[in-house]
Amino acid sequence: MYRYIIRRILLMIPTLVGVAILVFVLMRLLPGDIVEMRLASEGAYVSEETLDKERARLGLDKPIWQQFVNWMWGICRLDLGESMWTGQPITYEIGIRFQVSLQVAVMSTIIAVILAIPLGMIAALKQDTWVDYAIRIFSIAGLATPSFWLGIMIILAFLIFFTWAPPMVFTPIWVDPVANLSQLIWPALATGYRYSAVATRMTRSTVLEVLREDYIRTARAKGLWEKLILVRHALKNAMLPVITVIGLEFAFLIGGLVVTEQVFNLNGIGKLFVDAVGNKDYTLVQGLVLMVAFVFTITNLVVDILYAWLDPRIRYQ
Amino acid sequence: MIQNIRSSGIGIVLGLIITLMFAPQGIAAEKPVYGGHFPYIVSASNFPSMDAHREVTFAVVQPLAPFYSLLIKVNPENPSDPTDFVGDLAESWSANKDETVWTFKLRKNVKFHDGSLMTSKDVKASFDKVIFPPEGVISSWKGYFPMVEAVEAPDDFTVVFKLKFGTKAFIPAVATPYLWIYKADILAKDMHWYEKNVMGTGAFKFKDHVAGSHVEGVKNPDYFIKGRPYLDSFRAIFINKQAPQVAAIRGGRALINFRAFPPKTRDDLVKALGDKITVQESPWNCVLIVTPNHKVKPFDDPRVRRALSLALDRWEASKTLSKIAIAKPVGGCVFPHHPLGLTDEELQQNIAGYSLDIEASRKEARRLLKEAGVPEGFKIKFHNRGVEQPYKVLGIWVIDQWRKIGLDVEHWVQPTAQFYATLRAKKQAYAVSMDFNCRGVVNPLLDITKFLSDDIVGNQYAEYQDRVLDELHGKIMKEIDPVKLKKLLFQFEKRVLDEEAHQLITLWWNRIVPHHSRLKGWKISPSHYLNQDLVDVWLAKE
Amino acid sequence: MAVDRQILEPSTPNHLAETKRSKWKQAVFRFIRYKPLGTVGAAIVLFMILVAVSAEVISPYDPLETDYINMFTPPDFTHWLGTDAFGRDIMSRIIYGSRTAMLVGFTAAFIGATLGLFIGVASAYFGGRIDLLVQRLLDIFMSFPLIILALSVVAIFGTGTEKVIMAITVPLVPRCARVVRSSALAIREIPYVDAARACGFTHWRIIVRHMLPNVVAPYLIMLTAFQGQAILLEASLSFLGLGVQEPTPAWGLMLQGGAEEYAESAPWMAIFPGLAISIAVFAFNVFGDSLRDVLDPRLRGAK
Repeated sequence: MYRYIIRRILLMIPTLVGVAILVFVLMRLLPGDIVEMRLASEGAYVSEETLDKERARLGLDKPIWQQFVNWMWGICRLDLGESMWTGQPITYEIGIRFQVSLQVAVMSTIIAVILAIPLGMIAALKQDTWVDYAIRIFSIAGLATPSFWLGIMIILAFLIFFTWAPPMVFTPIWVDPVANLSQLIWPALATGYRYSAVATRMTRSTVLEVLREDYIRTARAKGLWEKLILVRHALKNAMLPVITVIGLEFAFLIGGLVVTEQVFNLNGIGKLFVDAVGNKDYTLVQGLVLMVAFVFTITNLVVDILYAWLDPRIRYQ
Repeated sequence: MIQNIRSSGIGIVLGLIITLMFAPQGIAAEKPVYGGHFPYIVSASNFPSMDAHREVTFAVVQPLAPFYSLLIKVNPENPSDPTDFVGDLAESWSANKDETVWTFKLRKNVKFHDGSLMTSKDVKASFDKVIFPPEGVISSWKGYFPMVEAVEAPDDFTVVFKLKFGTKAFIPAVATPYLWIYKADILAKDMHWYEKNVMGTGAFKFKDHVAGSHVEGVKNPDYFIKGRPYLDSFRAIFINKQAPQVAAIRGGRALINFRAFPPKTRDDLVKALGDKITVQESPWNCVLIVTPNHKVKPFDDPRVRRALSLALDRWEASKTLSKIAIAKPVGGCVFPHHPLGLTDEELQQNIAGYSLDIEASRKEARRLLKEAGVPEGFKIKFHNRGVEQPYKVLGIWVIDQWRKIGLDVEHWVQPTAQFYATLRAKKQAYAVSMDFNCRGVVNPLLDITKFLSDDIVGNQYAEYQDRVLDELHGKIMKEIDPVKLKKLLFQFEKRVLDEEAHQLITLWWNRIVPHHSRLKGWKISPSHYLNQDLVDVWLAKE
Repeated sequence: MAVDRQILEPSTPNHLAETKRSKWKQAVFRFIRYKPLGTVGAAIVLFMILVAVSAEVISPYDPLETDYINMFTPPDFTHWLGTDAFGRDIMSRIIYGSRTAMLVGFTAAFIGATLGLFIGVASAYFGGRIDLLVQRLLDIFMSFPLIILALSVVAIFGTGTEKVIMAITVPLVPRCARVVRSSALAIREIPYVDAARACGFTHWRIIVRHMLPNVVAPYLIMLTAFQGQAILLEASLSFLGLGVQEPTPAWGLMLQGGAEEYAESAPWMAIFPGLAISIAVFAFNVFGDSLRDVLDPRLRGAK
């Protein structure tokens, strides 16, 4: 077991290094640069000389390989550097937004799980009946509706019927839980509905699979109540792939909620991403991508470990 | 000569009309109430740094201006008048006969937020930083002061500007809303301190800043104007997408978006909130310009460029597009209806493309194209910025108008960063593009530098050099007689827009700011950088 | 080909006697009878393709034609779905928009799934170090959130329909490769393959004749799933201003224009494109779901 874990951790490293190289190269392929964006964007006239001086200050005039080495060396010391746009440390910039994104991700996942597991089970139990169809239509509608459109509709509904808008500024939950929740519950719902769709279908199909297994038939033949059968046997085994799916989706919630954050004006990672890419803020984008990749790989690792622990067959691949 | 520049008749009347039409409550009649917290929207993600001397984006001014003071500023009682300035830190100012020496007398009771007294050395240090930045310091406003020779502080409360030549461009330049007065002692220790910190003399003290989220300020009890500010505190909230902005205002989470809303949004808000919403409108000191690249055939031929301008029915567009876009006033190179610019009649009679007879114009356009050898159905790729208001809207209109003179136009839209990259590349990366000219204080003499040769100014992207214009501008800068100045400006505009058709003005922008009626004491100005210090703002009881 | 025939027609006693065409007809009928939801999905998809192809014929107006007198008209008899901010007919724009959606959806999904198919199969077949390397590469691309990868591609190569297709295809490839690889791995382990190698069959022949047929099922499922994802991604990219550009009609673009500013006073501007997207994605998903139920023997019901 330990060897498995260590192997997986070691495999993470080349992945992360690959991500680092990819994002580094990608950023430098983008046209335009941050100095122009910042100093010349609103039509003011700044001399070429001034722009060059600023580029030198940011280290953009050094050869590419040197910039890369400096950056990687910084990573090894856990120093992500400073944002080229604001000059603040990247850990500070990301830290503020991470709070918001994390909370939305957690809340979305909770909502998704609350919706998906019971619905998926019922749909599997009543396969091909109208209940099954209704649940499947409900969940696919969640997949099909653009979540930002859903978000806009939610906000609109509140405005039209209650002349109420959610708070536009984030307050941490320990400072003011009411303000915090009344801001974040709506994006969590809009996103959670979407993610519950994926989880519902996965739950349904794995429960269906398990229900066909021999030992379930045996349990039924023994005369146990259907409910007990499900809860004890089916659920435990069906949870494995569901956990995988939920784990993967959770990782995407951090940093992937770009449009939803725009609609609800959440000061989250997705918004930071879009702005950073738009500003050509190399260091910030690199730091962000690495962080997101790290979260993704760790989540993958945790899920795979859970999987291997619960199902010994997988370990020996 | 005391030079408190007062407006011409047109300016006063304009200001009065705007005030009366759009402030039915009668701003002057009510008595201000003390107290209250003022949340407002800044239409951006965040600001790059806190130093307005080096940044050019309104995302710096709108949240941070309340912490600082300027030397002189646009009159907050009459901000729509582009020639009316009042003193902020300056009590009064005067000039010598040929306007080459300007003397400013400072107030004596101004304190920084740390308690120290503001003196002339602070003003000198701040202006030196802007006009004569030391090595390693970037000043984005240096280009506004080519006429300044030196800044001196003969005594504690007097500042003297020595100019190389007298010019009408000087006073509006000094009123630029980015020229905050910093503390000399701090600048002496660290020129970069103000990029991440706040220390000013404004009506509000800095409380908090959460990157990407908001800025908070509280009342400064020692502000140098007794009885001000009225507000207890404010919070500037960063929201950069329109849907949540409108939601915030409708839901009462914010009282105003200081930038602007498009006409339809204004209509929606009025319909939804009735008389809880007040709308203020003003011509905006921003204009969209069609820029043909002079190095790309056939746009090197002035006949072709003229034809492109003749095809545009500006007067009609002003009526129809203003319903869906933030564009409306028709003008030349100079801010519409500015005393130094062309009147509507002068435009209609003298400049190509401004005639009221659009059929004749379009016929002429077709004739010119034929003469220049441009075939029917000629393909043009029109380069534009990927921002809805008013770029894409006006772009779609321009394409539509050019189709009417037999051109086949494709819309090539790029997001902001790539858009600038293409413009600045200067390797004939585009054939015809949309460009813009946005300024803060209306300062026609400096605003028209956009049209000078591209080896003199860095933001002319049409890739041409016109020495006649450059010389003309040199004369304009030095002419202090208003009548002669107006004649020179007329010549300038005629050459740019008509004779050479170097660049084509489409429409000037229209600033529409609907806000909660509770918000009082703020009057709209031609630019979203102006009048942001919140000194006179107060909130009526609910 | 013996494998999938068995899946589709378990109860046919003497398949040698029937012709291939009537076997397909039987399969289709069985699909309609047992998978009504999937059939509805398939029907909607076919309808959309029809609309997209015949846009010039059935569209009442020119989608690019502006009409400043009739801006923002609500749905009525002259404009069944109303007009937008420039007076352009919304129904026509939705009809032409289906063309963009189908184009973007099909191309991106097809290229993405097919590339993923080849990469996944090759990686599973060759195994060893190659597999490890490809796995890492796939991991790297999967670690980027979908939309960030798309953002970068658009930022580098610009906007426009072709670039959007490219931007959407890139993130889809590793996802398909992953799934296909797991299925292909199962085949890899069978001694059958080693025996074939021993007989001297080439890599190519073994892959095509023995591995591909077994991964057709997950491939088809991913293909249909990707359609829906591609359409949604296009909508998101357009909403951010990075997708197809004005004045080309595209559903995501129409959503952006409508939803942002006019959601309350002219709701039809946002509702109809939103509905179009939802229905399209819904149809693809439902069809793909039913396809999976049919092709994967473990999931078929007791019937």
